Amino acid sequence: MEKQIIIEALFPEIANLFGDRMNINYLKACLPEAEFIDTCLTDEPAFVNQPVSMIYMGSMTESQQELVINVLRPYREKLMELIDNGCIFLMTGNAMEIFESYIENEDGSRVNGLEIFPTYARRDMMHRYNSLVLGEYEGIKLVGFKAQFSHSYGDNSNQHFYKVVRGCGINPSSMLEGLKRNHFFGTYTVGPFLLLNPLFVKYLLTLLGAKKRQLAHEDTIMAAYRKRLLEFENEKLKYQ
Amino acid sequence: MKKNLRFLSALFISKTAMFTQKLFGMNASYFPGKLAIKLCPDFLGRIDKPETIISVTGTNGKTTVCNMIIDALTANGYDVLSNRAGSNINAGVASALISGCTISGKAKKRVAVFEIDERSSKLIYPYVRPTYAVCTNLFRDSIHRNAHPEFIFHIISESLPKESHLILNADDLISAGLAPENARTYFSIAPMNTDLPESINIINDMRICPNCHHTLDYRYVRYHHIGNAHCPSCGFASPESDYAALPDFETGTLTITHHGDTEQYPLVTNSIFNTYNQVTAITLLREFGLSAGQIREAFSSLNIVESRYSSETVNGVEIITHMAKGQNPIACSCVFDYVKKEPGQKEIILMLDDVFDRIASSEIMTWIYDADFEFLNDDSISRIIISGVRCEDYKLRLLLAGVPEDKLICVSKEIDAPDYLRFDGTDKVFILHELYAADEAMKVRDKTAARLQNFEGRA
Ligand SMILES: [Zn+2]
Repeated sequence: MEKQIIIEALFPEIANLFGDRMNINYLKACLPEAEFIDTCLTDEPAFVNQPVSMIYMGSMTESQQELVINVLRPYREKLMELIDNGCIFLMTGNAMEIFESYIENEDGSRVNGLEIFPTYARRDMMHRYNSLVLGEYEGIKLVGFKAQFSHSYGDNSNQHFYKVVRGCGINPSSMLEGLKRNHFFGTYTVGPFLLLNPLFVKYLLTLLGAKKRQLAHEDTIMAAYRKRLLEFENEKLKYQ
Repeated sequence: MKKNLRFLSALFISKTAMFTQKLFGMNASYFPGKLAIKLCPDFLGRIDKPETIISVTGTNGKTTVCNMIIDALTANGYDVLSNRAGSNINAGVASALISGCTISGKAKKRVAVFEIDERSSKLIYPYVRPTYAVCTNLFRDSIHRNAHPEFIFHIISESLPKESHLILNADDLISAGLAPENARTYFSIAPMNTDLPESINIINDMRICPNCHHTLDYRYVRYHHIGNAHCPSCGFASPESDYAALPDFETGTLTITHHGDTEQYPLVTNSIFNTYNQVTAITLLREFGLSAGQIREAFSSLNIVESRYSSETVNGVEIITHMAKGQNPIACSCVFDYVKKEPGQKEIILMLDDVFDRIASSEIMTWIYDADFEFLNDDSISRIIISGVRCEDYKLRLLLAGVPEDKLICVSKEIDAPDYLRFDGTDKVFILHELYAADEAMKVRDKTAARLQNFEGRA
């Protein structure tokens, strides 16, 4: 018998700033037999008392990041343990920063993060960074969009999600995108990361134990992906 | 601020530029102001301003509200300075002030109405201090420019002068909290039978209490976060309104209750969105000092121009073109809701690609996952022809919204879309186009009309 897949979405009432929620909707379409749990800010997270296969969180506002850090801080050890034990984490947009050591404001003040990764983020609210990004993870070409006020700094050379082919990584001078440890995947790319990257969804489904699975709307999602990839690989394409 | 030599020469040069542009029939509502600010960075602070300044900002409706206010004031004999038909950033406001002053920098008019781009607040309000500052609402907008409503909220809230009297929407819990120290007047629309118990939109950026972060309880919702809510945990709630409006779309009347008195106005719209705009304008005009009678008279001859809409009927089928601003999930959701609710059987042509991005870049498509394509999953919609480079993205989005695949057709060129219309029991064809695709939409409309003209299959 296959293991029951349980996917917990953290704080959907706020962490859904750029269509991020549709990552969960797409997983629901691909995994009709899985259990999905929505955890609100005032709820105790499901991962505290029951096994979960995957934890997802999407983009949020800067003040909400601070709120989420405070809500998750009591569970820091549990989160570390889950990461070590191979629980899948997918963090899109600035949700990733919650797990870094701190977030620095323009005036030098700092918001302490969960300190699970040694890197830190620096905000620059006067300059929004918008860009496309093309990268590669374990032979899978990944495409994404960035729209953010902050970048991350510090060494992620041993803990990055993927190598950037075009665009930038965790900051404009990095070619290593995001954070990764075990099955924790964090990326600054916003919104519908899974809907843009069907091959990564297949990889994710395998990690979840749902092998050789047809994707939901596979022909369409693959056609959209192939077309975008072709554009992103075009040297003339403007990335910013 | 004094008028120094730098200011006076900037004024002279920009006035000369304005005169020259006008001489050649050019639009002089941006460049002269930009030039003046370049030559004298605090130009806006040094130029004389009209005694009363009304500013209008907000995500949606600011142009409509500005137009209503200007028209009503003009109808009542006021000579109004404005940046209407011009730019709503600092250069546009500067251009309007340049045109409204003498060569020595003296203001020629006593009242000004300025539409202000939300992000430009911090460049404008420190110098152009509004007597009345209106905010229509705050919503999620383009993610590149506006990031999120909280970001825009702080920009506006922190740049509003303390003395500005705010005109705010009590039904919008985001903008209702702007500059809490300032004097304010709230308007709202009273409960209606079309209200919903909770938001059915994907976007609701006011789900949690700003004080204690509990999930808010909505008494009713109109769309997105527009409605009336309270926090069950700490008592935080929508503010009481000073002007409570009740539209009657059947009779075309708008009843407004203000301090126990009721006033009636002709309703100039049949949409809830524009009702909010009208109530916003009326609240401002009443606070400005016009009587209900003066406003009523002005509104009796006023009509909202739906400039981004066209309709014609060919061979019994109505062809409607409607702008659906791309990259703006709120605007698109609103249009999808309207199409769904229109009576009759419909076929839709979508042409939503960003025409600039597709030339040199690849459009950031996150916004389609924020827009309520679910509204297009309706029995009254028999076919959706998705046109443009990004057609597979839209198809995927519509499939996720539950639209059956056999209703969806992808075509890469917009002009080919009408070839796939079937007119099988179709009462209406909707052509929903991006702001900058209006010309192409007209070609698509004409081709649709030509096909209908020769269509034999219809009884
Ligand atoms: Zn509360």
